[in-house]
Amino acid sequence: MNNVYVRGNTSIKSISLTRLFLLLPLIIYGCYKNGVYLYTSNYINLFDMFRPIILILTGALIGASVNLIYEYIIRRRKESLISAIFSSFHVEYGIILACISSINTNLFIFVICTFFIFLISKFLNNRINIIAITFIAIYLISTLKEEYIFANIYELSKTFSLNFLDYLTGRAPGGIAGTHIILLFVALTGLHISNTNKSEITMYTCISYAIPAIIYGIIRNINVLDLLFLNNYMFIFTFVATDSVTSCYSNNGKKLFGILIGVLTFGFYFLNPILAPFISISVISLLNNLIDRKVGMFLKNNSINGE
Amino acid sequence: MNKTISIKNQVELSDIVENYLNPEYIYIPISTKDEILVKVGAKVLKEEPIIKRAREIVYSSISGTLIGTTESMYKNNILTTCLVIENDFKEKVYNKKGAVKYISEYNEKEVLSLIKKYLGDKSINLSAKSIVINGIDQDPYERTYSFLINNYCTKILEGIDAISNIINATSTIFAINNHDNTNVINLTNHIGTYPNIKLKLLSDAYPSGFQELVIKNTLTKKQINEGFLYLTVEDIYNIYNVLKRRKPITEKLLTLSGNSIETSKVLNVKIGTNMSDIIDNCCDIINDKYFVVTNGLIAGHTLSSLNQIVTSDVRSIFLNTKNKELEKKCINCGLCNIKCPVGLNPKFIKDHKKADRSKCIKCGLCTYICPSKINFKPYLNGGQDE
Repeated sequence: MNNVYVRGNTSIKSISLTRLFLLLPLIIYGCYKNGVYLYTSNYINLFDMFRPIILILTGALIGASVNLIYEYIIRRRKESLISAIFSSFHVEYGIILACISSINTNLFIFVICTFFIFLISKFLNNRINIIAITFIAIYLISTLKEEYIFANIYELSKTFSLNFLDYLTGRAPGGIAGTHIILLFVALTGLHISNTNKSEITMYTCISYAIPAIIYGIIRNINVLDLLFLNNYMFIFTFVATDSVTSCYSNNGKKLFGILIGVLTFGFYFLNPILAPFISISVISLLNNLIDRKVGMFLKNNSINGE
Repeated sequence: MNKTISIKNQVELSDIVENYLNPEYIYIPISTKDEILVKVGAKVLKEEPIIKRAREIVYSSISGTLIGTTESMYKNNILTTCLVIENDFKEKVYNKKGAVKYISEYNEKEVLSLIKKYLGDKSINLSAKSIVINGIDQDPYERTYSFLINNYCTKILEGIDAISNIINATSTIFAINNHDNTNVINLTNHIGTYPNIKLKLLSDAYPSGFQELVIKNTLTKKQINEGFLYLTVEDIYNIYNVLKRRKPITEKLLTLSGNSIETSKVLNVKIGTNMSDIIDNCCDIINDKYFVVTNGLIAGHTLSSLNQIVTSDVRSIFLNTKNKELEKKCINCGLCNIKCPVGLNPKFIKDHKKADRSKCIKCGLCTYICPSKINFKPYLNGGQDE
């Protein structure tokens, strides 16, 4: 008789809401940078000012509707609406996906790709990182039509020479809400304190990517800051690589998981700088169970089997 | 990373210990190897030896008549044959003795023989260099130890001091919960008289009241290797009664709580009382769909029948409804692994039947903390209940 009588407050819903709350400053900045600022500078019309928030809300709605379809129609569960919406992390996935997408992303492509891949993912037993796969799909379909670029209309109209502070304050081109490094660091700190993020993965990914990137930048006389901060790399390492469901959970597993993503990202950088982190996250996320099992045993980590 | 979690207990208990000392019958579990010292139909007195076992003597907790045996009672969910004593409600005590003035004056041999005679299964390591006394309730919804310290503070301190002097311990540590304000003040006021007792305040977090964690948080590795004696405040109170009055355990405090009863309380009951009598006589039930759980809502066990006997190891009884949150797929968050106080990996153990689970202290923290509401208890209990 192993009944459970009391439970803690931690739930998928509370984890999702905490993560989204910490994402909020980045989203607000993204809406300002890619919406309000462009409108007040007369680069875009009033409707386009709302484009960033429309993309983010669309991502959230797709995540919620996929969860509702799965819980109410496919599984026929009688849960409350809120409980069904937060039955998995898909709402958060939708918002993160919008945050890393370019402001120029075609809304139709975004909706179609996100909806179908999210829905299919419900039957895949959480084997692969959904955000990474969906972004790859959006990118590939978008590039059939035109080149996928992160810069907004203002950034396209100017020639920049960005310094370190510009990168820290989010002035570099990137996804809708993925460029402000200081706000990202604040979010990461909050995630770590609230225990809602696998911060070790972020740390090891950043280190294992940064070391070869800096060496390569110095040798080839390339701007190291571009290698480190362009294309949302830090945001992806913080919010996408650490997806709870498809990443490692054991102590040593998390470290190796992060290192492999960092190293592979650097490798794939030469193939496609935008897709590099997504390809590496997709590949490594497939191996998360194997890494947890094998690495934990190989290193005789206390936390994996208690020996 | 903090391995314990703070659990806010919203259950309010009455400040006064209530008594339920007049059960109609008490039940004493017997086995085929036991020597029964009283014949069926004979009168028995309170504290009279009833059963002689290889390692202990069992005493009657009431006066009355031994009316026979029954096979319908359970002890720890196992159907057990029991002697039944009918209460005459006279509380006549067998061989009443006067109190000893100074319990510290016993020598080691006398203490051992008294403990063996009256507390049987409680072994005391006389070569221990350190003593750890656990005054922290194991479960956040229990208040048994807290009430025991509150009601018998000086007796408990006297008992600790006596044991410390008798075994000549170099270090005697009394661990209590730092949020147990009444007892912190109470003990601080009295502890000056006992300079060899050190008060250790442990954080009000689950599962810091478990034996393994109390030892880990109070003793150094060197002290652990040198040998130590671990006792709970309840053990100390029982030892005190044995040394002071040669009184066996006939009564015990237990917490009666849960969301299906109106008022939570701490009860003083006779050993051998049927739990269904306690529930019938001491609970205002507000929800009929309850389960009965002993020794904690998080780590406790659900009773298969209400005909359970109160034994000396029952600390609490809860009448609670089941948590109905649906179990979801594991989200790989690793919280169970991060929070496990003994460094086990509950998810790994769940997925691998052959994984080593021997270190598990069965605190239930992994089940409590899991965001997917996975119940790890069956897997951590060695798979026998899967």
